[in-house]
Amino acid sequence: MAEALSAAAGLFLNPTRLGMLALGSGVGLLIGILPGMGGIVAAAILLPFMLKLEPAAALAMVTGALAVVHTSDTITSVLIGAPGSAAAVPTMIEGHPMARRGEAARALAAAYLSSLVGGIIGALGLTLSIPLARPLVLSFGSPELFMLTVLGVSFAGSLLGREPLKGLSAGLLGLLLGTVGPAPAAAEVRFAFGQVYLTDGIDLALVALGLFGVAEVVSLLARGGAVAQRTELGRGWWEGALDVWRHRWLVIRGALIGMWAGVLPAIGATAGTLMAYGHAVATSRDRSRFGKGDVRGIIAPEAANNAVEAGDLVPTLLFGVPGGAPSAMILGALLAYGILPGPRIVTQHLDLIYTVVWSFALANVLGAGVMFAASPLLARLTYVPFNRIAPPIVLAMVLAAFQETQHFGDLVSLVALGVAGYALKVTGWPRGPLLIGFVLSNPLERYYFLTVNLYPRPEDWLLRPGVVVIGLLVVAPFAWGAFRWLRQRTRTEPEAARQPIGASAVATAAVLGVFGYAWWTARGFLANAALMPVSVAAAGTVLTAVQLVRELRGRSSPLTDEDEVEAEPHAVRERVRRGAAYLASLALYVAATWFVGLRWASVLWSLWVLVGVARVRWPTAVAYAALMVAGLELLASVLGVHLPQGRLRL
Amino acid sequence: MMSRLLWVLVLVAALGALPASGQQPYYAGKTVEIIVPFAPGGGSDIDARFFAPFLEKYVPGNPRVIVRNMPGGGSILGANFFAENARPDGTQLLVTSGSTMIPYILGVPQVRYDPARWELIKVNGVGGVLYVSPRTGVRKPEDLARPAERLVYGGISATGLDLVTLLLFEVLGLDVRVVMGFEGRGPARLAFERGETNIDYQTTPAYLSQVVPLVREGKAIPILSMGFVNEKGVMVRDPSAPDLPSAYEAYQALFKRKPDGLLRWKAYQSMVAAAFTFQKAMWAPGGTPPEALQALRTAVERMKTDPQFREQGRQVLEGYEVLRGDLAKPAVLRATRVTLDVKKYITDLLRSKYQVRL
Repeated sequence: MAEALSAAAGLFLNPTRLGMLALGSGVGLLIGILPGMGGIVAAAILLPFMLKLEPAAALAMVTGALAVVHTSDTITSVLIGAPGSAAAVPTMIEGHPMARRGEAARALAAAYLSSLVGGIIGALGLTLSIPLARPLVLSFGSPELFMLTVLGVSFAGSLLGREPLKGLSAGLLGLLLGTVGPAPAAAEVRFAFGQVYLTDGIDLALVALGLFGVAEVVSLLARGGAVAQRTELGRGWWEGALDVWRHRWLVIRGALIGMWAGVLPAIGATAGTLMAYGHAVATSRDRSRFGKGDVRGIIAPEAANNAVEAGDLVPTLLFGVPGGAPSAMILGALLAYGILPGPRIVTQHLDLIYTVVWSFALANVLGAGVMFAASPLLARLTYVPFNRIAPPIVLAMVLAAFQETQHFGDLVSLVALGVAGYALKVTGWPRGPLLIGFVLSNPLERYYFLTVNLYPRPEDWLLRPGVVVIGLLVVAPFAWGAFRWLRQRTRTEPEAARQPIGASAVATAAVLGVFGYAWWTARGFLANAALMPVSVAAAGTVLTAVQLVRELRGRSSPLTDEDEVEAEPHAVRERVRRGAAYLASLALYVAATWFVGLRWASVLWSLWVLVGVARVRWPTAVAYAALMVAGLELLASVLGVHLPQGRLRL
Repeated sequence: MMSRLLWVLVLVAALGALPASGQQPYYAGKTVEIIVPFAPGGGSDIDARFFAPFLEKYVPGNPRVIVRNMPGGGSILGANFFAENARPDGTQLLVTSGSTMIPYILGVPQVRYDPARWELIKVNGVGGVLYVSPRTGVRKPEDLARPAERLVYGGISATGLDLVTLLLFEVLGLDVRVVMGFEGRGPARLAFERGETNIDYQTTPAYLSQVVPLVREGKAIPILSMGFVNEKGVMVRDPSAPDLPSAYEAYQALFKRKPDGLLRWKAYQSMVAAAFTFQKAMWAPGGTPPEALQALRTAVERMKTDPQFREQGRQVLEGYEVLRGDLAKPAVLRATRVTLDVKKYITDLLRSKYQVRL
């Protein structure tokens, strides 16, 4: 190991390779800024160049790019509430409210610094554990992996919000959404409504972009003005750095959670980040600020998301089982150099592995350092009137959505999920549990069936030590919660003010309808395909029915599109009405794309926003739109981004 | 009316004459898009990205070649898109895999493509190796009939490439507990290494890199190769695993007779051909101009002599030959056309044993 380390240092500390590493990181940062585009696009762009380089330089370049794509996607998450990837959703949930309070610089600085530290911890951890990683990974059997997914789902328990009933139902809704598509344990495609598009399920990036990104952009537009609602500048940057120091143990815990989520198969990068977020909430004494811009909710997931990518290198390199598409592409590149991942890599190419790991760490330092330095400057973006920067942002989201399968269904799903996201947002449904449920739905179902089919006798798997330990970890917080509840039961909570029956009850009724429909439909599936959707939908039906009854009795929550300030009910209603109008305009935008293609539809929509809403003068608006389309063409020709073509060829 | 027709004729003649007079190669200044109906990073994606730079180099006119991933519907979505929208001018190509062909062969209703209407550019195959855990006591094919413990196999889905393995179990008359639901062959192999399953197969490249080290440590024992179907339609040994008996020989060793003529053998062999021997095919839409097809196919022929292609191809192609489309097309199409009794046998097997409704 020591020889390999020094050999790796020799390979690594070479001007060409360091230059390639810097180049890769630059590309990664630029790609990461575009919402919805991540490692896959970066790897696809770099791949052709890689084949012209020697292995160590090529690996340094692609690792550099993949290490930092999650670093720069923080920008859009914090500043405009559009998560650059599903893994950036916690950062958006906490960072965006901070930006609205005028604390964008603090949020960004805290995010970058914890990202940086998380990446280094991940790399350090890997350096130490690579010689042991193989037996360690193999000691996790299907039952342990199943229990880990259960643990992940239970982390949603700390994100339920003020109305636990709604939080639980939202988690179940996420689990249900995740069952769309092929059943893992039976040859059946569920809830596809005869659409080939849906037979592979709903794409995670689309869920993040729609439920969170579109919903946030619409509510920003409806609110009017700039993102930041208060205008005191300054001290935020340093404050963010101090935050990371204050919560240094949280950084380390977040990074370790992320690393292990990456190392072990089954859980995946996004769930690892969400688990770190859930962990931050669960271990905080005062939870009242979470969801309204608590810096701890940024620190833990940001430390995790870079460590996840580092951890993911273990199954990729040691087992040839990539955890995600970007690492799968590294694998393909390695193949072309004759480097075969697998058991032999530790004996034959250990120096190369360390080169990858340390390129990863260095790229993190580079990327996060650059972004950290730039964050005060970036934070100024939050003082620009939002409707003036909305057109390119919306265009970028539509474009990102279309890259998923390049089927028109991507755009329809984006709008549909955006409508759902906005409706859930204004009626007070927490979307965090929904996302966790969605991400873990498939692994949960898959490893449940693998476990019970591979271990036909229950005692064979239920009594395994790993299962028992993880089981206790799952149960402990709930037992503790119940204990505290029993002790505090004497204190009665003040009765909430009665609310008139309104939009909230309509939303609850709609969710109830979804659960009811799913329950009814899923009973007709094959037994192994039905178990998960039937149990989820049945539980969801019961819970939402109870919720609906409560709301009809006057216990519903009022409309709100703010996470923090409670405004006048009348003003909120007015804003929600405007939000609905913007959603309708987005639907028209997508419909126009179907007919005239993305270029012209974007021109029309942005002219409408700029002239009709932002009151920009015509010549400026036309020049703005032209510039946008020029940028679009540049993306299409340089990055090979695909544009939706219209039915009418213009 | 007459004059307009004349105009059109003149225009067509002029356009037709242009390339000939200008001496410009057909592909000069063009961009070729290879559609991969799978997500990035998979086998078909690696295959397409491996071929792309060599097509750039060897197609006269040096077109730009880009790869476009259109995943969805287990590759049906991308292949349908290609069948319905691809420009028949040689600038859009499609890469298919065994899992694109199996739904076509079984007549899955969502399939709207028909490879018989396409033009084949190249095809290269892959083999598979079946191996067991030492705990099973199985050392050679004959032992498969009496394993020391019940055989457990981890698969992905009965309608994907696993179908071939399921048919192999039928052919050899094995009693195997099949557990479906793994995300891929990699995770299924991990389950084998953890001891959760005791019989597994990997494509031969994955076998050579991932399983051979286990064989050396005594943790896995290779039993047979899935076999390779040659141009005469006869099953031979896997060229990348020549030391292992093919499924054909394994049958003979087990039953002391040849499997030819058996319905289940016919089903197995046609699926091996369609899903393994001709796994990675590259197609152009029907109606593509002959000069474009000629340019692409000649490029495939010429790149095979490139030392860089051979060097890098050693890992990607793993010793399997790349066949020129026009020469291989009859055999490939023959592999996708199964007789009605075979199709019925397969759908009956899937329905009765694996609860698949087709």
